[in-house]
Amino acid sequence: MNEQNPVPPQIPPRIPPVATPGVLQLGDDPAERIPISNVVAAIDSILRHPRRVMFQLRQPDAGKLIAMMLLVSVICSLIYGVVVGTFSGGDQLWAAPAKIALGLMISALICLPSLYIFTCLSGSQARLVEVCGLLAGLLMLMTILLIGFAPVAWIFSQSTESLAWMGTLHLIFWFIATIFGLRFLEAGFSHSNARSHAGFHTWVVIFLLVAVQMTTALRPIIGTADTFLPKEKQFFVSHWGDCLKATEKDLKSKLRE
Amino acid sequence: MHAQSAKLKTHLAEIATLLRGETETISAWSECWNARRFALHIAVIIFGAGLFGATMGWWRDPRQALYVAIKFPLIILLTTAGNALLNAMLAPLLGLNIPFRQSFSAILMSFTVAAAILGAFSPVMAFMIWNAPPMSSQAVSGATYSFIKLANVAVIAFAGTTGNVRLFQTLARLGGSKAVAFRVLVARLAGNLFLGSQLSWILRPFIGSPNLPVEFFRATALHGNFYENVFHSLMQILTSD
Repeated sequence: MNEQNPVPPQIPPRIPPVATPGVLQLGDDPAERIPISNVVAAIDSILRHPRRVMFQLRQPDAGKLIAMMLLVSVICSLIYGVVVGTFSGGDQLWAAPAKIALGLMISALICLPSLYIFTCLSGSQARLVEVCGLLAGLLMLMTILLIGFAPVAWIFSQSTESLAWMGTLHLIFWFIATIFGLRFLEAGFSHSNARSHAGFHTWVVIFLLVAVQMTTALRPIIGTADTFLPKEKQFFVSHWGDCLKATEKDLKSKLRE
Repeated sequence: MHAQSAKLKTHLAEIATLLRGETETISAWSECWNARRFALHIAVIIFGAGLFGATMGWWRDPRQALYVAIKFPLIILLTTAGNALLNAMLAPLLGLNIPFRQSFSAILMSFTVAAAILGAFSPVMAFMIWNAPPMSSQAVSGATYSFIKLANVAVIAFAGTTGNVRLFQTLARLGGSKAVAFRVLVARLAGNLFLGSQLSWILRPFIGSPNLPVEFFRATALHGNFYENVFHSLMQILTSD
């Protein structure tokens, strides 16, 4: 009598990955099965053996690896932020790293639900924790690459006074790093039985727009201002337009002098 | 704590199954009544559509956000409930012989898919609103308003289309024929569109206007209907010199 609902809830069983002849499945290589126990191993794996990271993200204790990857992302973005801050110096030495690390994490958080939805809609069997892990991997790879670009960025920031030029340079570095990060994410996506990549590509556009808009929402990152956050709300296209106009005006006045 | 986490994982796995469109499992779900699953679908609709509604109204005022967070899921639930009987009667007439409960369950699941998508997009929409200049007469006449409106329409259209694609797949599996599933889907879409449009008209405003007060219902909520208004607008265009 107490049994209101005699039918037990039906939870679909996990569908094992479809084996494609000639294509190695995650974990087929014994090297991919070696657990990633520390930060150095995580960095080494994402650069040299990304499949090892993808395999480890499917294991029950993936939470530790995700935490490590997020920690590396935060530290690397803080370091790159200091390099960005050296252009203006002063308060920007702490404001730029804080804004870059915060902006990156918030962008990822904003886009995580839509990534999971697109993953499911494409038929992928990836669990939420795996999607979180792949996104953390994207952030880690992206920020590690930014560290690689940091010396070049620093040299340029010490030798130019043009805000627009430095902004463009940082955007180019960020874009290159993001492409590699997205390649990692797409590779992980491909290993989860996804039927189509259309949803993933749509998400990439959303992620890029959110990340670029975040740089405008948290401005100034390279230059200086009286307040930590902007007083006026703007979309990134109009902000970039304003920056270019200001640069043009500066150039004209310098030419007149 | 562990039991709650396991419960949450089960719920998430069920929503993921709906999103993936695993028709075999979904058809089995629609065949047997399960109060817990029904409650989960209602909760996803309330939470997902409510969150999206809140982002929609937030640009005007936080109070407007609260109102739309209530109104948006309400439209979905009222449309589902209002057309339930009609949809259940039309299905056998169009060749799909399924009981009322199964028909209702299939429609509810399609709205659950749509609401889950809406909910997942709400952080992106909220970020967009946060970056927009405050709502003013100037902002409403500019590109920002059009952009926000179009972004809302695009997300709702995507969520609605995906929900209906999943419903079509379920109906095709239940009826064993794509032609029958298509007929039933078109009938349901027509009914839902007809009732849904009027409910949205009664429950307006959603985004809101800077020149009008923040209110749950407009004073003219029950004056006229959506179709009358469309007809008057058409007549105005056709008869204006």
